Amino acid sequence: MTVALVLLTLLVGAWLLAVIEAWLTTGRLRPVAPLLAGLSHLGRESILARKPDRLFFETAPVLLLVVAVLGAAVLPLAPDLVIADLATGALFLNAVLAYVLVSLIMAGWGPNGAYAMVGGWRFLGQLIAYSMLIVMPITATAMRAESLLNSAIVESQAGLWNIVYQPLGFVLFFIAAIALAFRSPFDLPTAPGELAGGVDAEYTGVRLAVLRLARLVMVITLSAATTVFFLGGWQGPLLPPWAWSLIKTLAVAVSMLLVGFYLPRIREADLLGWCWKLGIPLALLNILIVGLLILVVP
Amino acid sequence: MSATQQYLILLGLALGILGAVLSLYGLARSLGATRQEPGKDVPASAGVLSRDPVWGRYHARYYGYALLFLAFDMEMAYMYPWAVVFKEVGLVALLDMGVFLAILFLGLLYGWSQGALRRQ
Amino acid sequence: MSEAATTLAGARKGRPSILRRWVGQALARNLSCLVVPGPEVALAHGLDLAAADMRIAATPRDATVLLIVGELSQKLDEATAVLYAQMPRPRAILVLGGSAPSSLPQADVSADLSQTELMEAATRLQRLLAEDAFAASPDDFDSSILQAKTEYVCPMHPEVVEDEPGSCPKCGMDLVAREAGGDSDAGEHDHDHDHEHHGHEHDHDHEHESEEHDHHHAHHNDHGQSHEHHHDHEHHQNHKRAHDHEQHQGDDDHEHAHCHEHEDHGHQQSTAQEQSGTEYICPMHPEIRQNEPGSCPKCGMDLEPHKPEEDEGVREGVPEHDHEHHHDHSGHDHDGHDHSDHDHDSSGFMSMVEVTKDLPRSADGLAMDWLEVPFGPCFPGLPGGLKLTLTLDGDGVTEGQATSLVAMNTSSEEVAVETFIERLAAAMPLAPVSYRLLACRAIEQAAGLEPDPAVERGRAAALERERIASHLGWLAQLGRQLSFVWLTRRAAALQLETQRADREQLVALRPALQSLIARLEHTPLLKARLKGIGALPHGSQDLRGPVARASGRTEDARQADAMYRELGFEMRAESAGDAWARLRQRHVEIMTSLDLVEVAGDPELPKLRAIDNPSGTGEATVETPRGRATLRLTQERGQVVSVELDSACSQHIGLVADLVEGQELGDALVAVGSLDLSPWEVTS
Repeated sequence: MTVALVLLTLLVGAWLLAVIEAWLTTGRLRPVAPLLAGLSHLGRESILARKPDRLFFETAPVLLLVVAVLGAAVLPLAPDLVIADLATGALFLNAVLAYVLVSLIMAGWGPNGAYAMVGGWRFLGQLIAYSMLIVMPITATAMRAESLLNSAIVESQAGLWNIVYQPLGFVLFFIAAIALAFRSPFDLPTAPGELAGGVDAEYTGVRLAVLRLARLVMVITLSAATTVFFLGGWQGPLLPPWAWSLIKTLAVAVSMLLVGFYLPRIREADLLGWCWKLGIPLALLNILIVGLLILVVP
Repeated sequence: MSATQQYLILLGLALGILGAVLSLYGLARSLGATRQEPGKDVPASAGVLSRDPVWGRYHARYYGYALLFLAFDMEMAYMYPWAVVFKEVGLVALLDMGVFLAILFLGLLYGWSQGALRRQ
Repeated sequence: MSEAATTLAGARKGRPSILRRWVGQALARNLSCLVVPGPEVALAHGLDLAAADMRIAATPRDATVLLIVGELSQKLDEATAVLYAQMPRPRAILVLGGSAPSSLPQADVSADLSQTELMEAATRLQRLLAEDAFAASPDDFDSSILQAKTEYVCPMHPEVVEDEPGSCPKCGMDLVAREAGGDSDAGEHDHDHDHEHHGHEHDHDHEHESEEHDHHHAHHNDHGQSHEHHHDHEHHQNHKRAHDHEQHQGDDDHEHAHCHEHEDHGHQQSTAQEQSGTEYICPMHPEIRQNEPGSCPKCGMDLEPHKPEEDEGVREGVPEHDHEHHHDHSGHDHDGHDHSDHDHDSSGFMSMVEVTKDLPRSADGLAMDWLEVPFGPCFPGLPGGLKLTLTLDGDGVTEGQATSLVAMNTSSEEVAVETFIERLAAAMPLAPVSYRLLACRAIEQAAGLEPDPAVERGRAAALERERIASHLGWLAQLGRQLSFVWLTRRAAALQLETQRADREQLVALRPALQSLIARLEHTPLLKARLKGIGALPHGSQDLRGPVARASGRTEDARQADAMYRELGFEMRAESAGDAWARLRQRHVEIMTSLDLVEVAGDPELPKLRAIDNPSGTGEATVETPRGRATLRLTQERGQVVSVELDSACSQHIGLVADLVEGQELGDALVAVGSLDLSPWEVTS
C-alpha cells in the first residue's frame, strides 16, 4: 500500500514538474502535454545505434529510473508513509545516488557516438565536483539527529528546521542536487547547445520516454531529499503531514527549475574549481559549526 | 521491520520497476518493429555521417581533482558513523575528527598550491 | 500552396488499431521540429514556431518533423538527407518557401514562407500525422549519400585513396578496402576486436560467406595484409561466435578463445622469419615498417611479414599450421623471436610508454586517442550551414576547420537587374535588407545616380532595424548555445517584434530592449562563461563589424556615409576582444541603431530607383550587421554582367581554426558562436 502511494506521488510529482517546465519554456500551460509526449514517444521507433555496447545502452535509462525510485523509497513523506525506513537511510540514499554516474557513463559509452561519449565523461568530472557537497551536508544533518534514520532526521528538526540551523549546508546541498540531476546550469552531459543532446542524444522512442521520466523523478527525489534533510519533512501546522511534504517538495523542485531557466550553463573547469576551492572548505566549515552548535547549545 | 525485510522490499521495488519498464518496451514493440534503413543507426552528428568508432582512451582533464576526491571520499566513509555518535561522545569526537579533517584540508591546500586543482 | 501527399512518406508500418490511433493523435499534438538550416533562419524570416505549437528539437532523434526553410544548396541537401534518415519514424517533412530537396522524398506539406502559411501548414501536418502515422506499407528511405562508401587505400601510403580496387601508383601494392569517412591514424580502435580479427581472417577462408556480410569481408580474404580498424565490430563478434562453432565441428579442435594473444602471432613470425628480404608491417598501422620482427609501438601487435609480390592466398595456409602447434603449448615459446632491439620482456608485455610512443601528445604530455568529430551543418547553437569539424582530444579541441555549405556562388550568368537584387537578398537569409540595399546602391551608382536623401533616410532606418533584429537573433542563438532558455525566448520574441515594426513601435520597444541588455549584464554565470573566451590573436587583420569593434578597431562603414553623419551616428568600440566584449558591443549597437531609427523615421525597404542609363560599373559598401560588405558590379543594358562581392564573413570564417585550437569544447563552440558567422555570406 505504501509502495503504491509513494510511487503514485512520484508520478504525480513528475507530471506536475513536466507541466511547469513546459510552461516556463513555452509560456503555455497544458496539463495533458506530458502524457501526450509520453504516448508519442512510445509510438516512435526505438533506434539502436550501430555497433553499440548493447548492455550499457539498454541498462542506462532503466538504471536511472531505478536509482530515482529507490532513492525516494527511503525518504519519508509522512511518519508512516515510507517504503523502507532504513536505519542507514541517509547512507543508502547516497549510495544509490552514486549510480547516477554509472548510468550516465553507460549512456555515454553505449551508443558509440562522439557527442554521447564526451557527455558521459564530462559527467564524471561533474560528479567529482558535486559529490562531496552532497555527502557533507547530509553528515551534518545526521550529526544533529544522532542517527542516519531519515525519519529521525526529520524529527530532530521539530524545533528548528535545518535550513535555519545549517543554512550553509542547505545552500551547498541544493546546488549539488541540481548538479546531480544534471539540470541547467549544470547540464554538461546533455548540453543541447554544445553536444546536441549529449548522453540523451541517441535514445529514441520508448527508451527516451523512460530516460525522460527518470530525469523528472530524479528531480522529485532530490527535492524530497532536500525537504527531509533541511526543510523539516512533514512538519507543519494545520495540513496533514503528507500534504506538507508534497508542498515543500514541489516548492524545491520548482525552484530548481527556475534556477535552471534563468542561468546559462557553467563551464566544467569553473564548476570543478568553485566546488573544490570554495564549496568543500565551506562544507567542512559547516560541519565544524554544526559540531560546535550541537555541543554548546543544549 | 527488520533490515533484511526492508532490503528485500527495496530489491522487490527495483525488480518491479525493471518489470514495468520491460513491459513498456513490450508495449512499444507491439506497435511495430524498428525499420532498418540505411544511415538510420549511425550516431547522429549534425548532418554528417560519421561511422567511426569512438571507443578509445579519453583524455579526462580533471584527474587532479579526482585524486583528491578519492581521499575525501574515504574520509566521508569514516564520518558517517562518527556523525551518529558525535553528540554522545562530545568534544573529544569533535577534536578527533577535527584533526583528521585538518590534515586532509592541508592536503587540499597543498594540492591547490601545486596546481592539481585546475583543468589539466 | 498545394497539398502534397495524403499519406505520410515517413509512416510506420502497421495496421490501424486503437493504440496506434492514439499514438498518432498524441504525435500530432506534440510536434517537435528539426529546423534546417537552423532556427535562426526561421526567425530571420519572421516565423514564430512556438505560436504554431511546434517545439524545436536539438537532434534528429528527437524530432517528428523536418522543417525546411527556404531553398537549400546542394551540399546542405545531402546533409538534410542524412538528418532525415536519422529521424525515427513516424516522421514528416514540412517545406516552407521552396521545393523539397531532391534527395528527400516528396514533402508531406509545403507552404510559403509566412507566418499565416506556417500556421495553416501546421494544422495540415497535424491532421496528416493523426491519421497516417501508421501506414500499410511505407517505403524505405534510401539515398546514395547514406550508403557506406568503400574507399580503397594503400596500406603503405594512406594518402592514396581511390574509389575502385586496384594497385597503388606509388608502390604497386593492392589497395585495401575501407569505409569512407574514417580518419586513418587516430588509433581509436578496440584492440581486442582487432586481435580477434587478425586471428580469424586467416582461418575462416570462405566458411562464412553465407552470412550477411558486405563486400568488405571478401576483401579481407583477398589480402591478409592490412586490416581496417573501421570495420564492423559486429562482424567480428559474429565471426567469433560462428568461427568457434565451426572450428569445434571441424578437425581443428583447439580453442580459439585464447588464440588471440601474442603467442599466435609469435608463431607465425617464427615461421616467417626464415624468409629473407621481408619487411615487417603492423596490420593496423601500415606505416610502421621494420626489417626485423617485433611489436608495433602503437598498438602492441606483432608485426606481420610482407612481401609485395607474394600471392596473398598462399599465406592463408601457413597460419593454420601455427594454430595447431600453438595448441600444444600451455606456456609460450618465443625462441623463434629475436627481440634484441625491443625492450619488453618475454611475456609480450608492452608498456604504455611504448604503445603510445609515436602518438601525438597533449599539452600535459599524455598521448590519448583523438577523435575527429563533425559539428556539422545543423548543430544546435551554431549557425546552420556551417560545417565545423573539430579534432577532439578528450573534451579539448586540438584542431578545427570550418567551411560553409551554403556559400553564395557569385558566378556569372547575366541576369536582369531586378532579378539580381532579388536573388542576392534571397541568398542571404540572415541579412536580406542589407544585401538588397547593397545591390540597389551598387546598381544606382553604376547607372550614375546621385544618392537621394529622402530615400536614403528610409533605407538607413531599414538597415538599422535589421541590425537590431540581427543582433537579437544572435542573442537568441547564444541562449541556445548556453542552455539559457530565458534568453532564447526573450530575444526571439523581441526579434520577431522588431522585424515588422515601424518607427513608433520600435521606439516603444526601447524599454524592453534596455531591460534585456541590463539583465544580461548582470546574469550571474554569463560573464564567467564569456570572459576571456574567443580572444583573437593580436594583429589579425581581417576583422570587421562588431567583432572588429569589440577588439578596439575603430572601423565602421557608416562613418563615411553622409546620411549617418546627418543622423548623428557615433561609433563606439569595446577593447577586450573576447566573447564578452562582443556581447557588449552588440548591446551597444542595438541601442545606437534604435537611436538612429528614432531620428531617421519610418524604415522603408530598399527598392531600386528608376534608372535611365543602364550600363556602367558601380561599387557600393554597406555596414551589414556582421561587418562591411562591398559589392562591385558591371551592368550592360539592364543586365548585370559581372559581380564581385566581398563580405565580412568570408574573412571571419578563416579565423575559426585559430580560435578553437587548444580550447575546451564548450569554449571553442562559444568562441565560434561569438563571431556571428553567417555561412551564406561567405563567398566561394
